[in-house]
Amino acid sequence: MSDCTQCAVRSRAVCAALAPDERAMLSQLGRMQTVKRGQALLWEGDDALLVANVVEGVLKLSTATSSGREQIVGVVYPSDFIGRPFGRLSQHSVTALVDSRVCIFSRQSFDAMAREFPGLGHALLTRTLDELDRARRWMLLLGRKSAGERIASFLLELSQRLAEANCTADPAPLREFELPLDRQQIADVLGLTIETVSRQFTQLRASGLIDLPGRRSVAIVDRAALEAMAGD
Amino acid sequence: MWPYFPHLLNRPVPRYTSYPTAAEFRADVGAADLAAALDGLPAGALVSLYVHIPFCRDICWYCGCNTERANSRRRLETYLAALEREIDAVAARVSGRVRVGRIAFGGGSPNAISPIAFVRLVDRLLTAFSAANAEISVELDPRGLDASWAAVLGKLGVTRASLGVQTLDSGIQQRIGRVQPAESIAQSVALLRGAGVRSLNFDLIYGLPGQTMAALEDSVQAAIAMRPDRVALFGYAHVPDRIARQRRLEAAALPGQQARFDMAQQGHQALLAAGYMAIGFDHFALPEDALAVAMRAGRLRRNFQGFTDDNADALIGLGASSISLFDHLIVQNERASGLYRARLEAGGLAAMQGVRRDAEDRERGLVIGDILCGRPADLTGLPFDGLESRLKPFTDAGLAVLAADRLRLTADALPYARAIAACFDRYRTGAMAGFSAPV
Repeated sequence: MSDCTQCAVRSRAVCAALAPDERAMLSQLGRMQTVKRGQALLWEGDDALLVANVVEGVLKLSTATSSGREQIVGVVYPSDFIGRPFGRLSQHSVTALVDSRVCIFSRQSFDAMAREFPGLGHALLTRTLDELDRARRWMLLLGRKSAGERIASFLLELSQRLAEANCTADPAPLREFELPLDRQQIADVLGLTIETVSRQFTQLRASGLIDLPGRRSVAIVDRAALEAMAGD
Repeated sequence: MWPYFPHLLNRPVPRYTSYPTAAEFRADVGAADLAAALDGLPAGALVSLYVHIPFCRDICWYCGCNTERANSRRRLETYLAALEREIDAVAARVSGRVRVGRIAFGGGSPNAISPIAFVRLVDRLLTAFSAANAEISVELDPRGLDASWAAVLGKLGVTRASLGVQTLDSGIQQRIGRVQPAESIAQSVALLRGAGVRSLNFDLIYGLPGQTMAALEDSVQAAIAMRPDRVALFGYAHVPDRIARQRRLEAAALPGQQARFDMAQQGHQALLAAGYMAIGFDHFALPEDALAVAMRAGRLRRNFQGFTDDNADALIGLGASSISLFDHLIVQNERASGLYRARLEAGGLAAMQGVRRDAEDRERGLVIGDILCGRPADLTGLPFDGLESRLKPFTDAGLAVLAADRLRLTADALPYARAIAACFDRYRTGAMAGFSAPV
């Protein structure tokens, strides 16, 4: 069980649709779990299907392709809802890219709550649609875009999502932020080599679109040009 | 006016949604053949998916589809779990190699499951097949279509939908066990248009018990007033020996053959007069709709959903009873949902019967497709084994012209197209039990 009143994402997560006493009921069903960087999130049960709220951190969602290759189908941030099935029987896996915390529920008990409380049911539907949207965008990003377009899209997404992680209202995207992922991890999620990622960062800086003030930090200097480069 | 030749219409014939037809399916074709066909799809092949949801909120008495009532959440959940297994098993063989251009959901009524279950299903399909850009179409029951469903369809980017309208006559609706007021259809249309559905189809039926010419005319005009982009006008097929639920219909009140012929013609003329273009023998489309464009360009094709502009190299059927179509193979999944589930839980694919298509089948299939799609058929690739004598009744009646190894149907031959196509069916040389009348 988890203490919802202290939860960092309580105002933005899917459970925000519930009244305080209803949320207390939900908290009985949920379990806070810490996932260390590189660790996959698994349930002890055999074919349990889980859903989760991301409370802290950044995680990647992936599936295994027919050739055994890992295909990234999304990156999630605090307050995101993971409604895809994951567990032992599923080909989906959820892996922490940085030390993360998630609040997990069995899909069955979460669905039962959603049936009982229409507000939660509606929020669940909206989040599941959002998640599908995210998966589609990610597939398009990996399927079509050049290395430059992928990096530009990813930096824009980070600047937006990391701003939301620290704030309750709809915040403006960050101008400067710490990269939660190292170059190798960025290469992995974007389907690029580490050399390509490093070269793209250097080029973006040389053409004045971004600055790299520290080893892990990025500043977006010319957002409009970066958006044009991302192509969406 | 279509000339009426009862002797050319009294032989029941297949609908030829495939050739060979489902009547030729045998149990010596199955999961291993499906696996080989999936593995044999070349890199870059364009593939369409058909996903069968065999549930409806109520079972209509006329319906010949593979359906059951959606009255148990557990039954729906176990079916969807099996379907996800099948998606994973099939995708594991083709994902990353083929391109999925279209995904069609049919049934049953895909909207008999909950919106969230549907979204999860779409998510699974798009992810497993890497099909982010696939065009999605859905068959819908207007009775279960509310604002929340419409919002979901809009957000999923569904561009094509088909509504089971059947008849707008409330008396006949009672007699066929499907009561849906015209206002609810109009509301469904408004919701779907608002959600961004660009191509909307209405299914209509003639030949229902107690249906008069006037009743059909009223239904067709009421449908036209709602301006669907496409209309499919089907003749009701009464086969109570095979479909037990049809025994609830009053057989004595069914229109006879000539009345059915007149109804087909009346509907046809009303739709043409309203600006629709005839597509094949029972579909209609507004001139700017993709189906009409395909018809004019000679790209129309026949498949399990009727007439289509789909140009995919293969069709993969997912779900109980669904059929997959490849160049060399047609194969069908287990029909009963329990057996379907059992096969997938055992770790295999769900195919249980089918037919291999040899070179002659494929050639005959092309000719039959041309005839049904309104194109002159090139017969040079076929053996002339008594073909002229089988065609003679139709050429004598002026319905078809055979010259220089080409067969062309004349302008009034539409109601005879299926019967003419049957002349090219190597499996249909004698009597045909179990099929429906051609009109």
